[in-house]
Amino acid sequence: MMSKPKRLHPIAMLGYMGKRIKSFILPIIAFTFSVTRDSGRPLVYALIVSFVAAIFIFITSFVSWLRYTYKLEHDELRIEEGIFVRKKRYIPYERIQSIDFSEGMLQRLFGLVKVQIETAGGSGADEAEAVLSAISKEEAQLIQEYAATAEGNGTMEVKDVTEGRPIYKISTRQLLILSVTSGGVGVVISAVLALLSQVDDLIPFKKLTSGFEKWIASGLLFIAILVFFGLFLAWVIALIGTMLKYANFKVIKINSDLVITQGLIEKRQITIPLKRIQAIRISENMVRQFLGYATVYVESAGGSSTNQEGSKVTLIPIVKLNQIQSIIEPELDEYLVPDSFTPLPKRAIWRYIFRKWYIAVPIVIVSLIFLKTWGLLSIILLGAMTLWAVLIYKSAGWMLTEQQLALRYGAFIRNTVLMKKNKIQSLEIRESYFQQQRELGTIEAFVKSGAGGAGGKVIDMEKGDIEKIYDWYSRDKEKRDSSEK
Amino acid sequence: MVEPQNRLSIKALKVWRISAVIKVVIEWSITSVVVLLLNIFNGPDWISITLIILGVIFTFLHIFLFPTLRWKRWRYEVRAEEIELQEGFFIRSRTLIPMVRVQHVDTVQGPILRKYKLASIIVHTAATAHEIPALEETEAEELRFSISKLARVAEDDV
Repeated sequence: MMSKPKRLHPIAMLGYMGKRIKSFILPIIAFTFSVTRDSGRPLVYALIVSFVAAIFIFITSFVSWLRYTYKLEHDELRIEEGIFVRKKRYIPYERIQSIDFSEGMLQRLFGLVKVQIETAGGSGADEAEAVLSAISKEEAQLIQEYAATAEGNGTMEVKDVTEGRPIYKISTRQLLILSVTSGGVGVVISAVLALLSQVDDLIPFKKLTSGFEKWIASGLLFIAILVFFGLFLAWVIALIGTMLKYANFKVIKINSDLVITQGLIEKRQITIPLKRIQAIRISENMVRQFLGYATVYVESAGGSSTNQEGSKVTLIPIVKLNQIQSIIEPELDEYLVPDSFTPLPKRAIWRYIFRKWYIAVPIVIVSLIFLKTWGLLSIILLGAMTLWAVLIYKSAGWMLTEQQLALRYGAFIRNTVLMKKNKIQSLEIRESYFQQQRELGTIEAFVKSGAGGAGGKVIDMEKGDIEKIYDWYSRDKEKRDSSEK
Repeated sequence: MVEPQNRLSIKALKVWRISAVIKVVIEWSITSVVVLLLNIFNGPDWISITLIILGVIFTFLHIFLFPTLRWKRWRYEVRAEEIELQEGFFIRSRTLIPMVRVQHVDTVQGPILRKYKLASIIVHTAATAHEIPALEETEAEELRFSISKLARVAEDDV
């Protein structure tokens, strides 16, 4: 079943133009300024430059569109593109890791979709392996069918979102919590700033006698309020952005794939084969930790190194920590969310604190020498660093079950990584000289994620525990022990 | 824990020392330019003296101490179902790579290694790459062959 090379919908040209305008706008402005500064008639020159630039952008966008063709062969997708450097890319259907549909404003207007195709290789480029920026929905379905047949499960039917078993659907309440807490530290900062600006009102700047100082004080107050409103505005914008992005978030299972759909204005649909899932990551920022909520990601083998979207997929944007197990259990039954974690030994806390002090203590000493009394303020830094270290120490932990290693680490964002034994690519244990003295060590496990690796790392674990995990992972344990004789 | 069985070729020491000499020569040429400039522009003497002392210490460490320590520590073992590596003298590390996870194996050989008939092996998994440096050429070739054979045989239990 050969097919003719096809072009994208002409609307894709607009996308190309937008991209070029974005990358050329600054150089053009700079160039225009440098040209017009010395001449008598700046406006005329500016117009000429913009006109030439516009024509250049239009022509190159048109040629880009003209040159970009794709072809569905019986076993692979062939894409040819490029103006000066011609690029041909052949992607065998069976190598396709995930297909991602999205509809932006432009695509929706014409009933089109943008298709992003990820393979395990990952080119290291900033985009997916193949991006068909505007094709008809029928074409997109066709590609998915081809890929599905090659995947070997023999299912030819089109993945209809209405069938399949629902796994998770975001509720309005959850969407609200998600959006409000998405700023994480930003929320805390703006809340603190809000409080401070209140305090500023109470603390008696008015009692200051000199008019000049009063002016400075009111100026400072003005700036503080401005900063606060700026942050607040940024937060509100981020909040609306998150809401639009995660509205209608839904996960369903069709055959052996997870299909995730999301978005209000820009719709996205991501398909991940269950067997491609390499690890599960549960992530809680500070605010969510406090409220008992978490986000669940899956590490998948698709995606390129810099395009994280393909490899780290949000499975559940927000959920109560204690509900995760019941949601993922029916589909990903090998994964267990541990109820409790083994904490690090008490003596490790000092190493965590010292590691932060390496940075803080020199700063404190230098500021004490140069700033004299004011340098004492840097003690606050020392305190903050210590607190931070304790936080990291507290969140670290591990839990081993028969087939799964769970590592937990982080500070402001606490990560819990669940890795199955047969998905861990390699395991490394380390001990520095100082760790040896205290019988501590570091463990790091790597899983495949996109083009590179991901995984988990816990520093300063009990040496005996590390050896236990090492033995658990070793497949030739008996031989290792027998060679001892 | 039991250490892995095999050591690197003893010739690795020589190779490491030669590459250390090259590194040290570059270090010294930079140092001498800096000292010369300091002299011309009447810079303080203590900077030059400190630089030279540091240079001497680095030379000793890189050429004599580090290669020995590194070689003593480096061990590897290729078993039917996994590869185990042990390296590092200040930060000691041990790594396990199951055979089923091995994607491919490379042998690489720089000019110095070639002169001494040595070669390095790089084992790639889907997520990581691990080097076993400075093995006898024949041994490296055999190892590469046996690892890729074992990797094919090892049954994927995914």
